[in-house]
Amino acid sequence: MMCVSMENFIKHIKLQITKSSPDLTESEAREELLEACEDFFKENIYLAGKSITEKAVNRIVNGDTILIFKKSQLILHILLEAKAQNKEFKVVVVDSRPDLSGVSSCERLTAAGIPCSYVYINSSTYIMKKVTKVMLAADALLANGYVLGPVGTAMMGLIANTYNKPVIVCCETYKFCERVQTDSILYNELADPDSMLKTLNAEESPVAGWRESPNTRLVNLVYDTTPPALVSIVITEIAELPCSSAPVVLRRGAVKM
Amino acid sequence: VVSTQSTASFKNHEMDPFLLKKIPKDTVSRLEEFALYLRESKKERRSYVSVVKTVNVFRDLICTADWVTARELIKIIKCYCKYLPLSQSNETDVSNVVRRILKIIREENAGPEATNLADGISAFFKSDMKPSNLGRSDLQDNILNSIVELLVELDTSKSNIINMALEHIHSNERILTYGHSNTIRDFLLHGRRARDFEVIVCESGPSLQGHRMAAELSAGGIKTTVIADSAAFAIIHAVNKVIIGTHTIMADGALRAANGVHQLAMAAKYFSVPVIVCAALYKLSPTHLCSYDPDAFNKVIGPENMLNFSNAKLHSKVLISNPDFDYVPSDLIELFITNTGGHAPSYLYRIISELYHPDDYDLDNMCVETVEDEL
Repeated sequence: MMCVSMENFIKHIKLQITKSSPDLTESEAREELLEACEDFFKENIYLAGKSITEKAVNRIVNGDTILIFKKSQLILHILLEAKAQNKEFKVVVVDSRPDLSGVSSCERLTAAGIPCSYVYINSSTYIMKKVTKVMLAADALLANGYVLGPVGTAMMGLIANTYNKPVIVCCETYKFCERVQTDSILYNELADPDSMLKTLNAEESPVAGWRESPNTRLVNLVYDTTPPALVSIVITEIAELPCSSAPVVLRRGAVKM
Repeated sequence: VVSTQSTASFKNHEMDPFLLKKIPKDTVSRLEEFALYLRESKKERRSYVSVVKTVNVFRDLICTADWVTARELIKIIKCYCKYLPLSQSNETDVSNVVRRILKIIREENAGPEATNLADGISAFFKSDMKPSNLGRSDLQDNILNSIVELLVELDTSKSNIINMALEHIHSNERILTYGHSNTIRDFLLHGRRARDFEVIVCESGPSLQGHRMAAELSAGGIKTTVIADSAAFAIIHAVNKVIIGTHTIMADGALRAANGVHQLAMAAKYFSVPVIVCAALYKLSPTHLCSYDPDAFNKVIGPENMLNFSNAKLHSKVLISNPDFDYVPSDLIELFITNTGGHAPSYLYRIISELYHPDDYDLDNMCVETVEDEL
């Protein structure tokens, strides 16, 4: 079971293999494939990231309080670039258990001198009033406009909508996929349930013996889908689009190939 | 870290001299003990226990204090209330019970012609505090009898709520709950006796009370699943109803509940999943939300459960917020199940006018009755 971006990359490589001429020697063919991998990385990840950063940084103004959810390389890159351009803004990092990756987001942001707040997702309604924009990262964009992201993204989108804050999703086009989904359960991943037992104080969780109990289960979802109505804009390297334009991008990609 | 104990409550460490004149020495020590008990508010303290303690302390005060008319008695009680740390957000159930006792005193004083504000606005212009025909001992007996009835009501409030479990849970349902609540746990366990259903519990970080709830429910034979709070939106469309407890019910039907309940209720509203709140009526407070300020409504507690203090570098640079409560507006709630039955949030204003007297809504206000003062 792989995430969407990995699947897309493998599809791309398989296509390169079929397109590769049968006249080449084995080493030449291998060289060609490795170059194709490099090109994919350069075009779709590195340069796409730069283009998205440029567009997203334009949307950050002085005095903003930007809310981010957990850790995303792309979003952190955007914020660090905005700081490098001497924009004055604050960041609220919303984190959730069990992985708590928001802590390393905080560390990187404070190292760059950006003032940070840190809350758990439970308190997101408490701080949402003071936020001006919400920037979320996506793991995939589905063909019906739903955004697949780390679990909790949908909740952030809902709360931001209720308090009328714009929700900006940043997603490279290689993450777009033809799959359609209307809920988060049908197709998802389960991470290690025992990681939910980790507590920050030394006490053991009361459900630590859950495997012995026939009635207890721990479910640690990895992804969730955000409905397109909750997202204001999706920034990709090609353009800034509404969620509903996802199939247009997919078609354009298919025509290109 | 804001310590609410240091603010308003103990600016008068001494009891008012007026109060000290009216009560005997041994009662003073018992009253001081109670104030200390409230000051050391512990998170795990059950609201029912503190409510019963409150009634007993005030019963003691009524019996031993020096008063002749009900007006004097109410003045004494309000004076004592100023001494108690009631402004701490944890103590709304204590304040509510004090208001019930004051209402009992007013009713007994007025006798059979007692005004019930639920009957209409003309009741505002009638006075309950005219000196009664009864002497102190008869009035005191009536008051103490009513207080015994109040104690019985408090005693049976939980069993009245959990007996309604079978009306609200049907077989093969999936119920979502949040964190830990004694009322909800007993409600669900009572339902388990006759029905087979599943419960999904949100962890409720950072205190992780949900783990305790899940352990208790599964020990009682209910199939329980624990999920992280962030997964609530993802699974809520597959859930039949959300049943939660609360710390306080505000006057308009809003809640002051555990941190994270607001977003759960919002997700439930989005998918049209009904949110049912089970709470006894002593949690119903005649106060409204006046401000979202942490000092006024919420309480911010230490972040040691969120980010380890060993990460001192980050603690010194980052503002970490760990609010204890959450404000849930009343339009997100479908039904309240209380010891007097099920009520819609829009009906609570009537219940408040039956339970409490408007002059007691603000316990800091020493005025006994606004009607007579204006005439």
